[in-house]
Amino acid sequence: MGERRVYIGGGGAIEIDRHYDKGYKALALEAIRRLEKSYGTIEPDTLIISSMSPESMSEQIGIAGVIADYLGLKRINVMRIEMGEASGLASIAASYSMIASGVSRRLLVIGVEKVVELPTPYIVRVYSMIGDADYTGIYGIPPASEASLIANLYMDRFGYSYEDLFRWPVTMHRNAVKNPHAMLRFTIKSDSYKDSPVVSDPLRLLDVYPFGDGGSAIYLTSDPGDTAVEIAGIGSSSDAQDAISREDPLFFSAVREGFERALRMAGVERDHVRIVEIHDSFTPYAYIILESMGFAERGDSPRRFSPDSSSIYRAYVNLSGGLKARGHPWGATGVYQVYELFQILSGAWSHVDVGDGYAVAQNMSGAGAQSYSAILRRVR
Amino acid sequence: MASRDSPSRIWRLRDSLYSIRYARCRSCGYAFYPPRVSCIRCSSRDIEISVSRGLGVLEEYTVLYQVPARYQDSAPVIVGLVRLDEGFRMYGHVVDVDIKDLRRGLRVEAVLRRIRVDGSSGLIVYGIKFRPTIGGGHG
Repeated sequence: MGERRVYIGGGGAIEIDRHYDKGYKALALEAIRRLEKSYGTIEPDTLIISSMSPESMSEQIGIAGVIADYLGLKRINVMRIEMGEASGLASIAASYSMIASGVSRRLLVIGVEKVVELPTPYIVRVYSMIGDADYTGIYGIPPASEASLIANLYMDRFGYSYEDLFRWPVTMHRNAVKNPHAMLRFTIKSDSYKDSPVVSDPLRLLDVYPFGDGGSAIYLTSDPGDTAVEIAGIGSSSDAQDAISREDPLFFSAVREGFERALRMAGVERDHVRIVEIHDSFTPYAYIILESMGFAERGDSPRRFSPDSSSIYRAYVNLSGGLKARGHPWGATGVYQVYELFQILSGAWSHVDVGDGYAVAQNMSGAGAQSYSAILRRVR
Repeated sequence: MASRDSPSRIWRLRDSLYSIRYARCRSCGYAFYPPRVSCIRCSSRDIEISVSRGLGVLEEYTVLYQVPARYQDSAPVIVGLVRLDEGFRMYGHVVDVDIKDLRRGLRVEAVLRRIRVDGSSGLIVYGIKFRPTIGGGHG
């Protein structure tokens, strides 16, 4: 097709935490410092910032320009990409196109988000902006209440108890202990939910991603150099904004289609996927995503997912700890996913080896309203 | 973020704040809320907008404790998934009911209630909430 291949030259990420001492600029700077520590000096011709809420949280419009200026990146192409919680992989998708088309040769993507800036009700207010402002926004229906209704529908339809589904957070926390930049690096037990406050019944705090700030950087190049990892495919799709206006709220068509489009572009089958990072913003969504990606039949993923190995079908799932325990700094999350898979494929996480298998990141907004998938493979 | 409600915006939203205008596809019959330009199921643009009678069934509900700013006066809030008799679903707060009396399958009706207030001297936004139908049984 005449397209250039897209390689990941390097990456870097800050621990996801309540960084009261850091705003957007400092978070971005730390991500770059860590990228350059392993890669060396970068010279991007393009900066893409992935961020969901600089306007609503930090009164900053044009964040890409301000960060470029601060970082001393002069006379380059700058842009911010946003698609709600899916901004990260949306930014990776846009960046992929720029390298593949030849418009950019060395592209720096920084996912950066300042979340813990206000008391919780105000963070929830900002987060609620991912829904239709004229409907769920103004009617005070935050994303956690939608997830809770979906949890109830899922348990009712498929006959699961709350404890059955809680195995997911337990596994995520165990995985996060081994992820150096995860926010919640502590294990929990199968009955830990009893001490966890209810967010929106039946979902408790341990079923919901933690609020935290983050910064993650990925350097993409058209020149393979010493690179070990390539982006082999990208795909995305979209659906009705709220889950219950769709025919079936318990299946995310946008997730399925985005994943299948990425597989087709990479020329790969689901069977070749050895590791995935999925968007488990809320416990029930983890199961619905796995089913929507075809790793289990509808309603069957709680039975098919193996908590001991954190795997389903032939793939490891969320060894990072996922949104649940690694964290979810909104617009930065998709970039964290790519960074983690890049680390794994290039051998930096010694406790994981997926051989020549493919890695998939899946990043969505809302309850499967929009979803992106990116497929990575090792090239040497 | 906007810290004040815009009178012109609230006026623009009057059709969805003061009544329930829903869509039905004339091609495939699918009913949905809020209305879109084309059918969610079959993509036809042959859409009919009607006003719902506001009567329906509480299919699911959740008690929300992590209430967003500006809605905390009524925390905790009951968020319901209501299936209206016309065949579409929508979210809404459920009011005039004790948590212990909530049941899946409860008949509910739409009512006009205060949604939020803009400080002590600003706009009061009204909109649709749901309450159990008086004398209603289960649906």
